Amino acid sequence: MTSHGEEAPVTSDFVRSYVITGGRRLPSADDLALHTLVTLAPDREMPLGAGPEVRAIWELCAGGYLSVAEVAGHLSLPVGVARLLLTDLFEQGHLLRRAAPPRAQLADRATLEKVLHGLETLIV
Amino acid sequence: MTSFIKDPLVWILLIVIIAAAFAVMRARRTNMALRRNNDNLQSNLVAVQGQLRQTQSGYESLTARHVEDLAEVRADAESATKSVLKSAMGTLQSLAEEQQVLLDNLQKGYGDNTGVLADLMLIDHTSSQFSRRTKGISVLCGGWLGRREESASVYDVARSAQGRIKDFNRVRVHAQVNISITGKAVEPVAVVLAELLDNATKYSAPQSPVEINIQAVPTGVCLVVDDAGVGMSQETKARAAALLSPEGVVDITGLGDPPKFGFAVCGMLAARYGFSVSVDSVSPYGGVRAVIRVPEGLLTTEAPQPAASHDDHEYEEDVAARPRAAVPAPGPTLVVGTTTGGLPRRRRRNRAVSVVPEPEQQTAAPSGADAENSEVTASRIGAFARGTHLGRVSNNTEGSQNQ
Repeated sequence: MTSHGEEAPVTSDFVRSYVITGGRRLPSADDLALHTLVTLAPDREMPLGAGPEVRAIWELCAGGYLSVAEVAGHLSLPVGVARLLLTDLFEQGHLLRRAAPPRAQLADRATLEKVLHGLETLIV
Repeated sequence: MTSFIKDPLVWILLIVIIAAAFAVMRARRTNMALRRNNDNLQSNLVAVQGQLRQTQSGYESLTARHVEDLAEVRADAESATKSVLKSAMGTLQSLAEEQQVLLDNLQKGYGDNTGVLADLMLIDHTSSQFSRRTKGISVLCGGWLGRREESASVYDVARSAQGRIKDFNRVRVHAQVNISITGKAVEPVAVVLAELLDNATKYSAPQSPVEINIQAVPTGVCLVVDDAGVGMSQETKARAAALLSPEGVVDITGLGDPPKFGFAVCGMLAARYGFSVSVDSVSPYGGVRAVIRVPEGLLTTEAPQPAASHDDHEYEEDVAARPRAAVPAPGPTLVVGTTTGGLPRRRRRNRAVSVVPEPEQQTAAPSGADAENSEVTASRIGAFARGTHLGRVSNNTEGSQNQ
């Protein structure tokens, strides 16, 4: 037997995304936009036979609202795949969602600069 | 006397006697000649027989040498073919791997575009099958599969194998155990399982399901593949058993046209990595039941790190390494760095990965202990200033918005 040192490392994703989706049709991006916030509905039991990805989503979303993009990022899955899993959970009533918060009102630059200068003098 | 002379009978008799004597003499001469001839022929025959024996033994030794030479030439050709194929497949293998890594990145990059993602998945599927083929041939030629650094759960190994065959959505995985396979055996088991699944889906009705059941046994873990096909003929079974036995020698030119690599790859990998494969039982659905038994030595209870959860220790190190990134976030979540994708990494406290903190959480955050001394306050304001500075420097508008 030759030593394993000869072996090149394999780094591609071990479980391919189409297996995770089971080859199903991906939901359209309108249903759950990237910045839609999702969280776990209260008092839900994890569905039986949930895959590792669903369990990971469960854990992530138990903590509060998280955007669809962040869920995908944390799972290191393509957004479309995460969206499909989230849609499933949503349809089963396990998830709550709400639209992204409105953009913050931008204070005018001069005020911000004044605050910043004040703070800088504080530190120095 | 005259009567004698005159008697014609006497004359006739005399003539007959003379003729007889003459004939006897002649016959004798002929006989002698024939005998001589015979003797000659006999001796010739002996000589020829001797020569024949010589020739025969010469022929036999030549045939033996010929067979020997032929076997040698065949072995040479086989090893030459194998080494050529091995290096050719090695190139294809690394290209396939490269392609899969590219596809991983593309799928993540275009993940939000449903149409593009779906198309990329189709390409990924063919690419995975292509990769499996190159791996199989490479292994038969003495090449290597490549090694994964991390162990993987048997469930994921089964799903990975599932992704490497054409009809992957006919496969159902049932896992009753939570055991992982060590890094070095992850790819081999996945490749073998994929070959078995490929057989199972190919030799059963197009819509019939193929099941993988994963069960713990006292000596390790069994991955059982059941199909609802027509089973295997006795001849195929014998051939499979020969290829799957650890002593089985694989002659790649003898695998038929089109070549049937499956069992040969299974036997080779099982022998190389020390697990066993058998296909001799009948599935309860009427088809073939194939069993991979992975011994304890190739198993680990250490759970593979899922992408979603890292342990807190790692975060601590992250914070120490990048203090500038440790911008305190309001509420119970703490952003402790960014992922490679540029997303904020958060450490959860109690129930908290919240992007939008509840108003009461915001007010609850500064506790009495915080105001203990002015130094702490000053350092917090300093951190805030550094944070706003970082915000102004950074090009990433999305990041700051999310926080």
